[in-house]
Amino acid sequence: MQTGTIHNRDKFLQTIADRLGRKQRTERVPRPHWCHQPQWTVFQGYSQDELLEALKAQCPRIHTQCVETTSAELKETLKEVVANHGGGPVVTWDDPRFDEYGLTHLLRDEWPKENTDVHIWDASAGRKNIDFADKANVGITFSDITLAESGTVVLFSGNGKGRTVSFLPKTYIAIVAKSTIVPRMTQAAAYIHEQIEKGHLVPSCINFITGPSNSADIEMNLVVGVHGPMKATYIVVVDR
Amino acid sequence: MKVSLFVTCLVDLFHTNVGKATVELLERLGCEIDFPEAQTCCGQPAYNSGYVKEAKEAMKHMIRTFEHANYVVTPSGSCATMFKEYPHIFQGDREWEPKAKALADKTYELTQFIVDVLKIEDVGASLQGRATYHTSCHMTRLLGVKEAPFKLLKHVKGLEIVPLPNAHQCCGFGGTFSVKMGPISEQMVDEKIEHIEEIHADYLIGADCGCLMNIGGRIKRQGKPIKVMHIAEVLNSR
Amino acid sequence: MPMKIGNANFHERVETNLHNTFMRGAVAGAQERLHTRRLEAAKELGNWEEWRALGEEIRQHTLENLDYYLMQLSENVAKRGGHVFFAQTAEEANNYIRDVVIRKKAKKIVKSKSMVTEEINLNAVLEAAGCEVIETDLGEYILQIDDHDPPSHIVAPALHKNKEQIRDVFREKLGYKQTEKPEELALHARKTLRREYLTADIGITGCNFAIAESGSITLVTNEGNADLVTALPKTQITVMGMERIVPTFEEMEVLVSLLTRSAVGQKLTSYITVLTGPRDEGDVDGPEEFHLVIVDNGRSNILGTEFQPVLQCIRCAACVNVCPVYRHIGGHSYGSIYSGPIGAVLSPLLGGYDDYKELPYASSLCAACTEACPVKIPLHELLLKHRQVIVEREGKAPISEKLAMKAFGLGAASSFFYKFGSKVAPSALAPFTNDDRISKGPGPLKAWTEIREFPAPNKERFRDWFREHQKGGGK
Repeated sequence: MQTGTIHNRDKFLQTIADRLGRKQRTERVPRPHWCHQPQWTVFQGYSQDELLEALKAQCPRIHTQCVETTSAELKETLKEVVANHGGGPVVTWDDPRFDEYGLTHLLRDEWPKENTDVHIWDASAGRKNIDFADKANVGITFSDITLAESGTVVLFSGNGKGRTVSFLPKTYIAIVAKSTIVPRMTQAAAYIHEQIEKGHLVPSCINFITGPSNSADIEMNLVVGVHGPMKATYIVVVDR
Repeated sequence: MKVSLFVTCLVDLFHTNVGKATVELLERLGCEIDFPEAQTCCGQPAYNSGYVKEAKEAMKHMIRTFEHANYVVTPSGSCATMFKEYPHIFQGDREWEPKAKALADKTYELTQFIVDVLKIEDVGASLQGRATYHTSCHMTRLLGVKEAPFKLLKHVKGLEIVPLPNAHQCCGFGGTFSVKMGPISEQMVDEKIEHIEEIHADYLIGADCGCLMNIGGRIKRQGKPIKVMHIAEVLNSR
Repeated sequence: MPMKIGNANFHERVETNLHNTFMRGAVAGAQERLHTRRLEAAKELGNWEEWRALGEEIRQHTLENLDYYLMQLSENVAKRGGHVFFAQTAEEANNYIRDVVIRKKAKKIVKSKSMVTEEINLNAVLEAAGCEVIETDLGEYILQIDDHDPPSHIVAPALHKNKEQIRDVFREKLGYKQTEKPEELALHARKTLRREYLTADIGITGCNFAIAESGSITLVTNEGNADLVTALPKTQITVMGMERIVPTFEEMEVLVSLLTRSAVGQKLTSYITVLTGPRDEGDVDGPEEFHLVIVDNGRSNILGTEFQPVLQCIRCAACVNVCPVYRHIGGHSYGSIYSGPIGAVLSPLLGGYDDYKELPYASSLCAACTEACPVKIPLHELLLKHRQVIVEREGKAPISEKLAMKAFGLGAASSFFYKFGSKVAPSALAPFTNDDRISKGPGPLKAWTEIREFPAPNKERFRDWFREHQKGGGK
């Protein structure tokens, strides 16, 4: 990757240092041990079952449907949910988990045979992916990390995991493995921070998505479905 | 117990009854009242308008006036708060900061003193009627005295206390704000009075004469029948 | 538009807006709702004061080391192939952005909500360069098509508009044919803007929090518009106020939690999007080119002064939502895109006292703002500091007031003068006194008595009563 350019930094930072009455700080500034750490107490000690219950309780509050299923029944559940939302066209990530969870046949065979158009993200097809996503009725991804407290799915972009799959279509479906559920954003942030400390690069887009899109800009009336998806469903696979 | 009374300039000039009630009440509760005659004003009017130099002159005078006291008690939440600000205002002043701290540490608002120091919640008062209590901003948010007035009012025989809707909203006094920004202050006090009327209260009770003069003055102008009383007067009613 | 709104003076603006019944009802209603939601969200967490304390710690540490973190941020953005421009002034920022836009031959630009871009008046500069600039945040979009009506609230910019007004604007400007139902209005905006996202050349965003450790920027929305603005156009330009930065992801998540709860009472908004540089190799969506413009525009002048705490602000508007003054006068009365208590502190610092000297006095110092602020900015104390500066350094206080305060200083510092004054007050005011009250007061009492009765000074002063009381043995 070619390094980007930086302009006008020296004088800018010198001004700050001058105003703060000291020399410019260029040596590593150690992050303080914060005196208060209330974020770690939320859902502290919860089991995966308890976290799942918390997630389920949160979903109605964020206008999101939550459906529980098992690995064996996932395919049928997914078919049913998509049908309930009005069927295809469907756009999905190109993600090995579709195979691991036994959904490849559904995407490549069953749905197309039923005249449900399916587009699996294809890096070589460029802009066509976006056009399909724009016209799709349903977008399906897996959740990389799931936050119980807020009912949030965390998506890391890249490698066939297009950003727009989760927000261009009218409906968004996230397949959530129960094992991915953590108490809150604190755990997800700690994980990402740890990866960075180890020298890994963060993906160019990390999205924390909580339900469908909404706005209260018109007379403070909540309208669900503005710009992004109008509906959202989480399908929790309890034995994964 | 010897208590030095900081009666406040508003009470001294315009509300003798509040001063009287405070004295009688505290004496009945076993206090001996000392009234340092040299006292003037806590300095708020000048300080809150940005005149620090002039305000500090008044503050030094007050620090000197109460230097001898064990307890300084005042029937005003905002004036007590002002005394608590003195150490911050004199920060860095080697002579006055310790004196300011000494004064701040021994200063109490009236209801705070009765409940937290005298440890009394039933002062044997009685007053018939339906009343609501105005939680003045400085006393609640800055001095942190939230429970004491309610604990005392609960025991006043015959008095029904009804919560005031939107109690957290300022009545629009704010010292010079009430005259500098008259039209805005008017809207704020009118909203406050609407809420008092909403709950059909006969009495409005408060612990700050500034607020009471503001709300009471507007009530009088509007010719409404709501009676405005300082909590000292209520607690002294028998 | 720039930070300053309009040319009328403060009192004229207040007078006008006090008569805007719809706005006042809308603001009061919004305040009730948002205030309640914020308190519920805080209660649900259970230890809100600890969260506030942590928020304050993080912001103060970051400001104390701002040069270090901006250095780290810029290094990391560049490592990921992004370009960083440090803009000391609004002009520098606008020139850089305009150059990028021209170099890209861009014609259509979509924007997500950004207060700092309004502050520097970016849209006007780009429009003058021949670009179409489209706001995509629903509230900002409504205002933009309504002939650039200025925002009246940091988080809910179109708060002052009712749905009938919005319907009429949509009908006039967008060929809208349906009703004023919010769902229909929003759906129409969704359809119209969707086309714009897909055909835009450049996406411009603000930045809720930049993350130094990775060179990332965080965008917080409910609508998902920031995602569309950044995923679809080929070039992304992010503009940030220089103080909107955190050390790591861990501090970002704390401040986002404080922001979403304080602003709208939500645990998280629908979209918290963390973007790092241009898109990765092999990605199909996301920008090919990424620019980060870091703006000073007067913020460094606040560092190292008693006003430094105001830079802790995370733009949640919790203070605006509790302010009893804002409640009645609305955002436009402040004459600045930054309104409410935060606006009253910040506008004079960024825009000077000439235009904003009344704002620090448009407060009863009730401290509701200080109590509400999730990062513990002592807002009411800073308003007071402004008054001190106006009196002592700027010399902008009226002469009559200065004289009155000097007299106060003398009177309150000397028991002799005080006692004398209090003795003569009843007789001095006797001509104006009727029974126990004064209805039409002289001098300083005039403003008071325009609205309220004023009690006549007691003939028997407390101190006189007390002297007698003591003689009588305390009975």
